Amino acid sequence: MRIFKNFGQALRGLRLNRGNTFLMTLGVMIGIASLTVIVAIGDGIKVKVLDRIANMGFGPESFSVIAGAGRMFFARSKNTVSMTLEDAEDLLALPTVRLVVPRQRKRLQIINKKEFTSTRVYGVTPDWQLARGWKMVDGDFLSDSDLDRKRRAVVLGATPARKLFKGEDPIGKMVRLQNQFYEVIGLLEEKGLTESGYDPDDRALIPLTTSMSRLTHETHLHSIKVVTLNPSQVPETMETVRQVLRRNHNLSVLAADDFRFITPEGIMQWVTESEQALNRMLILISTVSLLVGGIVIMNILLVSIRERVREIGIRRCFGARRSDITFQFLFESVLVSLLGGIMGVGLGLAISFGLKRFDVLPTHITVEPFILSFVFCTLIGLIFGIHPARKAAFLSPEESIRS
Amino acid sequence: MNLIEMNSICKSYRNIGFETRVLEDVTLHIKEGDYVSIMGPSGAGKSTLMAIMGCLSQPTSGEYILDGEEVGQLNDRKLSRVRNEKIGFVFQAFHLLPGVTALENVILPLVYAKRPPGNIKEKARELLAKVGMEHRLHHTPGQLSGGEQQRVTIARSLINNPRIILADEPTGNLDSKNGRETMKTFDNLVKEGKTIVLITHDLEVAKHAGRIVSIRDGQIASDHEEKTFSL
Repeated sequence: MRIFKNFGQALRGLRLNRGNTFLMTLGVMIGIASLTVIVAIGDGIKVKVLDRIANMGFGPESFSVIAGAGRMFFARSKNTVSMTLEDAEDLLALPTVRLVVPRQRKRLQIINKKEFTSTRVYGVTPDWQLARGWKMVDGDFLSDSDLDRKRRAVVLGATPARKLFKGEDPIGKMVRLQNQFYEVIGLLEEKGLTESGYDPDDRALIPLTTSMSRLTHETHLHSIKVVTLNPSQVPETMETVRQVLRRNHNLSVLAADDFRFITPEGIMQWVTESEQALNRMLILISTVSLLVGGIVIMNILLVSIRERVREIGIRRCFGARRSDITFQFLFESVLVSLLGGIMGVGLGLAISFGLKRFDVLPTHITVEPFILSFVFCTLIGLIFGIHPARKAAFLSPEESIRS
Repeated sequence: MNLIEMNSICKSYRNIGFETRVLEDVTLHIKEGDYVSIMGPSGAGKSTLMAIMGCLSQPTSGEYILDGEEVGQLNDRKLSRVRNEKIGFVFQAFHLLPGVTALENVILPLVYAKRPPGNIKEKARELLAKVGMEHRLHHTPGQLSGGEQQRVTIARSLINNPRIILADEPTGNLDSKNGRETMKTFDNLVKEGKTIVLITHDLEVAKHAGRIVSIRDGQIASDHEEKTFSL
C-alpha cells in the first residue's frame, strides 16, 4: 500500500532529522507530562479523601455534627461555643438514635520523661469505643467512673505509645499533657497507615470531663457523633437533629445553622464536586499546553520543510504525488506528537512518583492519561501537521530541485 | 515514431505585475533511441525546457505529447505517474537523499511506483553493480565521492526502466576522468535503446550525442545531426 510506504518515508525523515524531531516533541511532551501529573494528583486526592472517610470510622448508620457553620471540613468560624453536653443528651433521647459521642479535640505535646511527640488528643465518652468498634490490645477503655471523677487517665493509640515507650509496656505509666500527669490505662489496637499516609493510630483519648476542666477549659463540644439504629434512618435523624439543635441554640427562622454535618454521602458528594471543578481546570490547562505543543510542532515542521525543499523536490521528480508528500509530513507530525506524548507520559509518571515518594502531594496512577494522551496527540499531530504538509506538497518540483 | 513531440511550446512566469517569457514557440521532436544534447548559455531556457520535458512543470501554451500521450494539461496525480514510469533524471548536483544508503536511494522511484516489482533490492543491487558500485551499497552520499554519487544517481534513474533519461549537466560537478566515465555509461545506455536528452554547455560532452540542439533566448537557434558521432 502506498500509504504504508509514505509512513515508512516519514519514519526515515524523523530519523534523519533527529534534532528537529526532538525539538518538536518537547512542547507536546511538556503538555502531556503536566496533564499526566494533574490527573494523577486529582486521582490521588480522591483516593486520599476516600481513605479518610473509611478511617473516620463512619459506619453506614452514623454521621457527625460539627460545631460551627460551614461545609464539611471547612468551618466558617473556629469559635462556635453553642454546642453543649445538653445537646448531646437531647440527641440521645431521640427514638432513632442508638449512640452519641460528644467530643473535644486538641493537638498537644504528649511527654514521657525525655520522650515526647505531638498527637491528636480527644476528650470522649465510653461510647466512643462502641461507636468506632475499635478493639483494645492491652488495658481498658475509659469508663463512666473515669468520666464522673474527671480522672486523669489516657488511652493511647499505637503511634504515640511506640514513640513514647519504645516497646516498654505503657500500662500504668504516667505521661504528661500540659504539665499534668495522666495514667495510661489502655492501648488501642494498631490499624496501620492508610494508603495515602494518614495515620489513624496517631491519637490519645481522655475522658471528656477531664478534657473540659483541665485541657481545653471549655464547656462546649467540638463535635457529636450520632449513630442511628439502622442506616435507612440517617436522613430523617439528621433532620430531627437539625431541629433539636436549632431550638437548643435559639436560632431564629432566618438564622443559618451554627453547626454542620459530615456524612459519608456528603463527603462523597463534596469529592465529586471538587473533582468536577478540578477536571474543568485540567481541561483548560491541558488544552492550553497542548495547543502550545501543537504550535511548536507546526512551526518547527515549517522550518524543517524549508530545509528539506530539495528532498521534497527529489521525491517529486521520481514520481511522488502531492498526496504522497502530504501524507509523509502528516505522518511525521502525528508520529512526533505521539512520541512527545509517550515521553510526556513517562515524564509525568516519574514526577507523580516523585511527588508521592517525597510526600509533596498524593498521586494515584490510572490508565486515563495514557488514553487521553494517545487521542490528544493524534489530534494535535493531524491538526497542526496539515498546514506544513500541504505547504510541502504544493512546492513546485521544478523550483525545489534548483534550490 | 516520435517519443517526445513538443509543438509551439511557450512558458512564461508571472511575477507581480509583469510576465517573463522563458520559452517562446519551441518545437522539438525526439525519436525513440535518439541521443540529443541541448546547449545554450545560462538563462537561455535550457532548464525550463528540461523541466517541461520531464513533466516537472507544464507549458503555458503549446502541445507536449510524450509517448503518444498529451501531458501538457494532466493533473498532478497523472503527471507524477508519467514522471515515475517514463522518465529517469540525472542531475548535476546528484540530488541523492542525504543520510540514506546508496541502495535505498536507488530504490526511491519504486517507493512511488504503481506496480513495483517483487525483487526490489535485487534489482537495485544489479543496477548498482552495472555502474560499478556493488561495493558501496550501504554507504550514504556523504561517504561517497562525486563520481560515485553520480553513478548511484544513474542507477536510480534506471530502476523504473524509463524510456527517457534526462540528464542536466551530468558532468558539471565531476573531474574529467569521472566525467568521461559518466559519458561512457550514457553512450552504452543509448546502445541499449534508451532515449537520452543531455543538457550541457560543454561542447565536448554535447558531441557524444548524435544531435545537438542550441537554445538562445528561449528559442531554438540551431538543430543539427552530428556526423562525427558513430555508434
